[in-house]
Amino acid sequence: MRYELLIAGRGGQGILLIGRVLGVAASKYSNLYVTCSESYVAETRGGDSRADLIISNNEEELDFIKVRKADIAIFMHQAQLVKFSSLVKSNGTVYVDETYVSELPSNVGWRVLRASYTKLAEREIGNIRVANMVALGHLIGTTKLINPEAVEMAIDEVVGEEWSELNKKAFRLGLNIGV
Amino acid sequence: MRLEYLTGNHAIAEAAIIAGLKFYAGYPITPSTEIFEYLASKLPTKGGVVLQFEDEIASINAVIGASWAGAKAMTATSGPGFSLMVEALSLAIMTETPLVLAYVMRAGPSTGIATKAGQYDVMQVRWAAHGNYELVVYAPWSVQECLDLTIKAFNVSEMLRVPVILLSDATLAHIWERVVIREPPEVSIVNRKKPKVPRDKYKPYEPEEDLVPPMACFGEGYRVLVESLTHDERGYYKATNEVQRRLVWRLVNKVLKNKHLISDSATYLVDDADYVLIAYGSTARSAYALIRELRSKGIKVGLYRPKLLWPLDEEMLINSTIKAKKVFVVENNVGVYVREISRVLRNKEVISIPIIDIEVPTPDEIFEVMKEWI
Amino acid sequence: MDIIHPLDRYLRTDRLPHIWCPGCGIGIVISAMLRAIDRHISEGHFTQDDVATVSGIGCTARATLYLNFDSAHVIHGRAIPFAIGLKVIKPNLKVIVIGGDGDIAAIGGNHLLHSARRNMDITVIMVNNMVYGMTGGQVAPTTPMKVYTTTTPYGNLEYPLNLIKLVSSLNTNYVARASVTHPHLIERYIYNALSRDGFSFIEVISICPEVFGRHIGFRNPVELFNKLKSMIKFKAKPSIDESDIVWGKEIVLGEYVNEYKSGFIKLLYGS
Repeated sequence: MRYELLIAGRGGQGILLIGRVLGVAASKYSNLYVTCSESYVAETRGGDSRADLIISNNEEELDFIKVRKADIAIFMHQAQLVKFSSLVKSNGTVYVDETYVSELPSNVGWRVLRASYTKLAEREIGNIRVANMVALGHLIGTTKLINPEAVEMAIDEVVGEEWSELNKKAFRLGLNIGV
Repeated sequence: MRLEYLTGNHAIAEAAIIAGLKFYAGYPITPSTEIFEYLASKLPTKGGVVLQFEDEIASINAVIGASWAGAKAMTATSGPGFSLMVEALSLAIMTETPLVLAYVMRAGPSTGIATKAGQYDVMQVRWAAHGNYELVVYAPWSVQECLDLTIKAFNVSEMLRVPVILLSDATLAHIWERVVIREPPEVSIVNRKKPKVPRDKYKPYEPEEDLVPPMACFGEGYRVLVESLTHDERGYYKATNEVQRRLVWRLVNKVLKNKHLISDSATYLVDDADYVLIAYGSTARSAYALIRELRSKGIKVGLYRPKLLWPLDEEMLINSTIKAKKVFVVENNVGVYVREISRVLRNKEVISIPIIDIEVPTPDEIFEVMKEWI
Repeated sequence: MDIIHPLDRYLRTDRLPHIWCPGCGIGIVISAMLRAIDRHISEGHFTQDDVATVSGIGCTARATLYLNFDSAHVIHGRAIPFAIGLKVIKPNLKVIVIGGDGDIAAIGGNHLLHSARRNMDITVIMVNNMVYGMTGGQVAPTTPMKVYTTTTPYGNLEYPLNLIKLVSSLNTNYVARASVTHPHLIERYIYNALSRDGFSFIEVISICPEVFGRHIGFRNPVELFNKLKSMIKFKAKPSIDESDIVWGKEIVLGEYVNEYKSGFIKLLYGS
């Protein structure tokens, strides 16, 4: 198995954290190989933020360090969806945060899974900052890419004790979308 | 053995600790700074010292001093900082001082683009310091290799009493990958040879059969003399042809004659390859992706990847390209290392594929050039 | 070689004769330094194996070649950072940097400034002959105004640097000025510097009859020595304001800073 994942949104939406958690979950707790490259503009809020992940069970399949054609994508904002949609395979699986994404390209065969991650986070958790974990939960719950327990261990490790429970709560909320 | 998820810079720092680092001196410079910060936080808990100096010149000279005090010592920098360090690099070569310098390349010339990648400095790293010498330079292509080759860099620097450079770049510095970390005794750690004779018989620059002199350090009672001037085996300045020739040739030959101990390269499907791509560092990842793609289409392409960039293992290069009709050298610069390849493969068609890309050249960009030739 | 002088044990006597010109002041500084070290050793404060001397490039820097300690003769201006590397790894070493005004104050000036600021536990002895001697008589940052040198053939237009004032403005423990005309003060100041933690700096005003003397019309070493001696004033507690060197008029010797604050090493390792 080899997957290319593209996660993109505006700075401040926690894009890189999704990448970090996925990376730790896959590499340390799922015996998978991962390459992740992060890119962002200098401004913390508002600019493009993007994480490219290549995940494979075979080390030899980790080659080019960036996404060439994503199998799976998360778009947390309309601006980055427009900018990076060409990097997603025409039959790719795409997760969108409906809070900020209103229009989807019509000429592709994406399998689109959508929910208002930000609104859900605000309404159910009381903190929009964990919308990213809701999205990650949605992705994990529907793709079964990685065991959810591995992701929770990764959350504990990456976000630290103070914010761990909140993030895991958001992650579980995402896991159950559509269930 | 343990698994970690680290960036290239973190892996270099982690490896340095495993190798026995006890002193780091540095000056902050993008994209190398995380090495410094990681060590500043971790090394003091392992009995080491991390100091920030007023510039890169002071940093590397302090590293040389610390090495003579008996510590494994390193610094890290990028192009502008390395330019400042080269005089002292020459001192380290002349005084046979073990040290490791992590050089994280960024886009130049001058200040260029501090946060973005390139491989512009592969020739500078080899030739910038004055005098004649052989310099050991390793180039990793993954976070795992940032770790493995940094440990190797320390081992070689201690084994041969030479400065060793770990040449990374802004791309590798900041990608995250899974790393397998092995600590001693799972990984072997080399320490410099100590004198086997008493003080009155000890000469700090008298080599053994491997051309490497045992190293006494300050405070051990040997009355060592670190000498930047041309010196004899005692460290005494001598301005004669005889001493100059003996010293310079030994400094060169102790690297060349021990090449079998330091050589490192990787090949992928070169045995039946009509075309061999040669690439190093992060760019080799792109070449490798292209080769996998072309192979799936039945095109016989292979990869030769020197991990030891300097001195180039000429025999390995020749053997890995022996059947190739054409050789392509892919670099994220204007095409510079290709000159070294062409020098060795002078009877082959060697084609330069220089691609300036501030991230990393893509497989498509490489193929765009390559397709005209196959 | 047999020991014929009590200080010979601190010299690599097989390397003599040395390179310094007749009439040069450096020998006076070296012998005073060795007497100060010898006093400490005989008083049991440290041993010969605990002493490390480090120098860069220049006439004074050549001293380390002749000294029978662990020594380093490194590149121009960089003795101080090398010395810091030594000291933080082997805190028991008594690390002495010795160099000329070009080595320490010009090319190495930034390192002097920052090691003083850190109150780094090393002793820096700067032999100030107000000129570049080894390279044949070029202007130094310490050269008095209007003086002819080979690179200021129309006279030096720049104000000389007052190292005493500079180093005193930083967080150091010890700043003193001595002169080759008064060797007992050199010895006493070096002894005092080596008696404490933190950064210590001793400027020793010296003479270079071969180059500087020639430039200012004193080719005869004795005449130059006497000329310098005529300018020297010793003060038990001089003030920084009196530290400017006005060639031909007054050079004030004395201990300008004399403190016992914790040095960097104590902050780094604890006591």
